[in-house]
Amino acid sequence: MMRVSKILEMAAANLKQRKLRTSLTTLGVIIGITTIIGIASLGEGFRFEIKQRMQSGFELNVLIVFPGSLTAGFGEPFTRSELDNIRNISNVNLATGMKTLASAEVYKENGTRVRALTVAGVNFSEMQQMLPKRFIVAAGNFPSENDTNTIVLGFRAGTNNSIPVVNIGENVTVSASFQVNGTKFTHNETLTVAGILIEGGTAGITNFDYWAFISSKKAAEMAGGESYQIILIQVNDTQKASQTAREVENTFTNPYRVSVFVPSSFEQQVDNILNLLQIFLTAIGAISLLVAGIGIMNIMTVSVMERTREVGILKAIGAKSRTVLSMFLAEAITIGIIGGLIGIVTGYGVSYGLASMLSSLIQPQQQQNTLLSTPEREPLTITPKFTPEWTIGAFIFAIVICVIFGLYPARKASKLNPVEALRYE
Amino acid sequence: MSAILEVHDVRKSYRLGGIPVPALSGVSFNVMRGEFLTIFGPSGSGKSTLLHLLGGLDRPDAGKILIDGSNILELGDNDLAQLRLTKIGFVFQFFNLLPRLTALENVELPLVIAGLSEKETLERARKMLKFVGLEAREKHKPHELSGGEQQRVAIARALITNPAIILADEPTGNLDTKTGREIVQLMKNLNEERKQTFIVVTHDPQIAQEAHRTVHLKDGLVETISENKPPTRNQ
Repeated sequence: MMRVSKILEMAAANLKQRKLRTSLTTLGVIIGITTIIGIASLGEGFRFEIKQRMQSGFELNVLIVFPGSLTAGFGEPFTRSELDNIRNISNVNLATGMKTLASAEVYKENGTRVRALTVAGVNFSEMQQMLPKRFIVAAGNFPSENDTNTIVLGFRAGTNNSIPVVNIGENVTVSASFQVNGTKFTHNETLTVAGILIEGGTAGITNFDYWAFISSKKAAEMAGGESYQIILIQVNDTQKASQTAREVENTFTNPYRVSVFVPSSFEQQVDNILNLLQIFLTAIGAISLLVAGIGIMNIMTVSVMERTREVGILKAIGAKSRTVLSMFLAEAITIGIIGGLIGIVTGYGVSYGLASMLSSLIQPQQQQNTLLSTPEREPLTITPKFTPEWTIGAFIFAIVICVIFGLYPARKASKLNPVEALRYE
Repeated sequence: MSAILEVHDVRKSYRLGGIPVPALSGVSFNVMRGEFLTIFGPSGSGKSTLLHLLGGLDRPDAGKILIDGSNILELGDNDLAQLRLTKIGFVFQFFNLLPRLTALENVELPLVIAGLSEKETLERARKMLKFVGLEAREKHKPHELSGGEQQRVAIARALITNPAIILADEPTGNLDTKTGREIVQLMKNLNEERKQTFIVVTHDPQIAQEAHRTVHLKDGLVETISENKPPTRNQ
């Protein structure tokens, strides 16, 4: 039996003989693999970036409960007993309420406004347990349980370009306006700055950069009662977060009374969408490789016809059908290997080029500051990800395509009648 | 003296436009071991068809072809290929060298197909080229060689596996008279030195004369078998 090394050597020599034809055929494979690898590595990079941002924006084990629903609008704040009902659910480790003061503003003693866009009354120790990686002071301390005369500022509220605008121990005035039965009245309270939170990072519901926190007792005092606009729930098992969310909804008799935001399922959905998008784009790459395969078949069919006499000679001097088959197939596989390897390199090259182009296109938008979002600070940077699975997969795919489309012409060559082949001019 | 090749009532016809055209209509003869035999006849007499059948390149419609006593028509395609590789060497009118390969590589080809080591292949190919007097031309491609030189390369290729039978189809048909005579002389020398059986198809009566025996073929039938000289046996 003919040696494999010899078969490959002869295949390479044959391909070299027809340089232009070989390079054009290989180019088809290169384009296909470049597309697949480019899309895959960009997609993986994009997914990674999104995941990172979601993880830094949300604690995946924390559910966020709002009163009301998208269809019914914001409802009445939650009551203490509603919070207690949630605390009784088995997967709930911790539940804490936040009371946001509507249109509250914070002023320094000299009258300048502190950039705290939301003022919320919280239980500081519960908040620290709830968000151990985020609810941390950069300067000062969290107030003790009974200390109601202090305030903690978010990073952006307390600093300007990382330079503190308020000193720890300085007094500020919180001015909250309320409407009761159509009459508007304002409640002013002077509080001492106890601490400034660390920087929140990217946007998310639990990014508190533009927030200010006071004790829930003080908030209740200012707003005239204990109630919560937001309830944060820490679950024991993140896997069961969606189920827990349903249980939370079930503690309310009116389904429109409550909306539960589940970051982990949100993340799952975003991941699913990205997956779908990536499959779709990869399919385009696969189709281009299929086209390349048809090109290989076309060229090889012509090549077999041209080399009919050669096949006759080979058979006459004792080459078996399968030897002829493997000689032609080796040429197709060689194209697959070379095209695949070059395609992988150019694919990653193209993805890096595209990534920097895309990153400069997707700049952070100018957003208004709302309860749920704070402006993006960092531009979105997509770094293509090298994944061995995709790389090996694409390489194998290239070879498989070449084998499939090379098989027909190679079989045709191997089945040639030697006498007729020798007579072929 | 034993027969290396026995042909029994071999028949073969081709279909041309749906009409069967007989090429061989019952051919029988024997070829002795170490014999130099020519198959002589006008064009269209079925010489080439017969040669292809003898070499296992094609299959007859009926009849038997025995090589060393075993019927090659009972062999499968792979075994036939193996037979061509090990027991038979072909020499063609149009040389049929691979144009891409050098003289040396062309001679090596059967051993490459057989899967022999590179070292042995090279050694044997060099020796064979020297045997046909082309050791200085081993790096030349076929188009850089004269017709006579190309046919010598083809003969070297046919002989490299040391086959028992060499089949030559009009080996001088594409050469001038002088070169043709040289090629015939080369084959005769090889026949005498190496004791290999040569079966040469020709329509040139002068070449036919050179053989021990000549099978005269006409219209697909053996007309006569003439003895030209007593066969030189085991000398």
